[in-house]
Amino acid sequence: MRYALDAPSLIEDIRFGYGPKAGTPPSPGGLDPDRLLAQLTAPDPAAEVWNRPPLADRLALIVQSKADNTPDTANSTVGRQLKTIEQADIASFVARPAVADLGFVERLVNLWANRVTVASPLQKIGHFIQSFRDEAIRPNIAGRYADLLQATLWHPAMQIYLTQTDSIGPNSPYGLRKGKGLNENLAREFLELHAMGHGYSQADVTELAKLLAGMAYDQSGPHLNRQRAEPGTKTILGARYGEGMSEIARLVETVAHRPETADAVAYFIARHFIADVPPPDLVQALSASYLAHDTQLVPMYRTLLQHPAAADPTRAKVRSPQEYAVASLRLMGLSGQEQDLPAIAKGSLRPREALTAMGQPPFKALRPDGWPEVAAGWMTPPMLAARIDWAVDVARVTGDRADPVALTDFALGEMATPLLRRAVAGAEQRWEGLAVLIASPDFSRR
Amino acid sequence: MVAKLTGDLLLSRRAFLIGCSVAASPLLTPVTFAAVPGDNRLVVIVLRGAMDGIDVVRPTGDAAYASLRPTLAAAQGPALTDFFTLHPDAAGLMPLWTAGELGFAHAVATPYRSGRSHFIGQDALENGTGTSDGNLTPGHDGWLNRALSLMPAARADTAVSVGQQRLLILDGAHQTDHWFPVSESPLSAQGLDLLNAVNAADPLFAEPYAQAQSLARSMNGEQAPKGGQAYAQLGSYVAERLTGPSRIASFSFGGWDTHHNQAKTMTDQLTALTQVLVALKTGLARAWGTTLVLAMTEFGRTARENGTQGTDHGTGGMAILSGGALKGGRVFGAWPGLSEANLLANRDVMPTADVRSYPGWALRMMFGLNATGLQSSVFPGLDLGPNPGFLL
Repeated sequence: MRYALDAPSLIEDIRFGYGPKAGTPPSPGGLDPDRLLAQLTAPDPAAEVWNRPPLADRLALIVQSKADNTPDTANSTVGRQLKTIEQADIASFVARPAVADLGFVERLVNLWANRVTVASPLQKIGHFIQSFRDEAIRPNIAGRYADLLQATLWHPAMQIYLTQTDSIGPNSPYGLRKGKGLNENLAREFLELHAMGHGYSQADVTELAKLLAGMAYDQSGPHLNRQRAEPGTKTILGARYGEGMSEIARLVETVAHRPETADAVAYFIARHFIADVPPPDLVQALSASYLAHDTQLVPMYRTLLQHPAAADPTRAKVRSPQEYAVASLRLMGLSGQEQDLPAIAKGSLRPREALTAMGQPPFKALRPDGWPEVAAGWMTPPMLAARIDWAVDVARVTGDRADPVALTDFALGEMATPLLRRAVAGAEQRWEGLAVLIASPDFSRR
Repeated sequence: MVAKLTGDLLLSRRAFLIGCSVAASPLLTPVTFAAVPGDNRLVVIVLRGAMDGIDVVRPTGDAAYASLRPTLAAAQGPALTDFFTLHPDAAGLMPLWTAGELGFAHAVATPYRSGRSHFIGQDALENGTGTSDGNLTPGHDGWLNRALSLMPAARADTAVSVGQQRLLILDGAHQTDHWFPVSESPLSAQGLDLLNAVNAADPLFAEPYAQAQSLARSMNGEQAPKGGQAYAQLGSYVAERLTGPSRIASFSFGGWDTHHNQAKTMTDQLTALTQVLVALKTGLARAWGTTLVLAMTEFGRTARENGTQGTDHGTGGMAILSGGALKGGRVFGAWPGLSEANLLANRDVMPTADVRSYPGWALRMMFGLNATGLQSSVFPGLDLGPNPGFLL
């Protein structure tokens, strides 16, 4: 609690948060691991404000929609209710971190939600994604990765996204009656993307698909549908598994403790925060910490924050579009939800559209491995131009009363290059100076 | 909007650009071009998601086929040969087949064998690597880019990309340009100069920023395709570029990952693919005669239907060849058979050829690349073998 109310230092907030927020001057000095880690146990007043409807409410709406038996679900009353909920969910994707005090917490939520991705372009699960983030990811960011994997595997958003709901044990009662069979999608991506990355075979995928067949999640909670579960023994990664939820839990626990999983998780964290090609000694240390502490994440975070690269003032990473837009909103004291802004023709900043143009349509990652975690994914000319569009809009909204030189100091401190300071100071109007600051590579880096 | 920009550009380069609204492209498809001398044209389409080759061109003469595909093969399409039948939703391609301007290479695969990951598989396909684990060649670049570097007269000034994402196949040391539509400039000339200065000073940002700049200067008012006709317009757009100085174009075409309800997805996919090919032929007109279109996918799908009227990731796949330069009307390659003993791991179509041999021979015959360069630099470890004779 010692640090709970202290603002992060500049390097802490830039590398491990969303950048300094207007009205909250950064704490002086460099990186203090304890101050960042204190965020993980600090009370978060924002949680009340951003309390989105839980999964139970969303499932109830869907059940109601089925009971209504409306042929056109999308246009039914319930369908419109779900759509409204989804739109507010998406707005919170930018607005919540934009006003957050605990930036490190918000970054970690996005980090894990990206490693274990659910997205809406393939399946219509837009109304479940926020619940996945709130109920499968957020409660586990300071817990064990094994528990995060259990929660994400069972969440209905994941079940639908990776078509697990279609997978039927070929020798299950339903499978035999209907001649239906397995769908390997979730089994494969669990091993490839969520956990190990390598070190398993096609046979392991198929056997895991058998073990997972029949998974279901409805208003009664997670359960195994015995009509669809594949009977018999499954051999996965050399170990034998029987039937039932406890066997799935045992498998997840085993896979979470594999050294391949430790390495993959370690690499993911190090690459996310430090460099597109992270220091091998850091990855090794993170992996060792993961295995030594029963897949607990907080010891990994401590290892990360104590590594010299964590405090290096050279910022090697490029902010994702969400991180970039949020950082600029925080700098100007905005949430992105402001309406009727006279300075720009469209009247509002429209973060959703802006993020889409920058290459990150919210909740719509194109692939199950999530958004790019390296700079090259965000650096095409059209995406770069969209960042500059955004910078110009933000600058126009707020720039006529801003001091771009002082804001450069506030945003970057000693990390601002002399060239950037000259350029910002040399602009012919305040708003243009601010546009140059926000559209600069300096501001896109973290 | 575009007319206004063109006007601005005519007035002054200062009125240019970057940072101004990029018209959102409805296509998530990047297109890349390169210019080389000569009349021959190559279009490489990356079919992302693993196209089910034996659904598109069905080995109905194989005794095992019907039982492997109880629901997927239900509807009958036109016969291609006495052994192969075309998917009914691709029937719009029959005029190309009859004219000898369409062919298929069955049972092909990249050397990647250690898994069935889309991401590794697509990277391997675009990188041209010869490794079975999908590890990329040291440059982590695209084989088409390396091929360009072996064409001494290749130019980059008209190379262009539409859309939001990079295309690995043409990424690399050989300079290629990108194109995209922009609208008006909201910053003053001074503001732009300052923005140029700070971006030029950052090694990571300098190049994409400059690329956007130079292209906006030379752009001639073209707009990204939109709406339901997007694929026809994509084909027309590529054809238009290829009737200019560009001779090589590449773009990606996704949506082939058909784990469930494959029949419905295939209808959309094959309709769109037909649109692209027909639009290319129409748009290229006379130049179609010296054009080869090569559409390749990262791997094939399981020989058996799965439990959800779809197919899972497999190995042996199929490439589609088209164009006036093709000696088509044939299904190329050695057919491995679909009986249990002939399947790979009792599951996948057994590959009988390295898919890289098709672009390999195309580069050899159409652009004069020598076998050494092809087998060492462009496609490491590829054995070109005897001329398969698929080009006129």
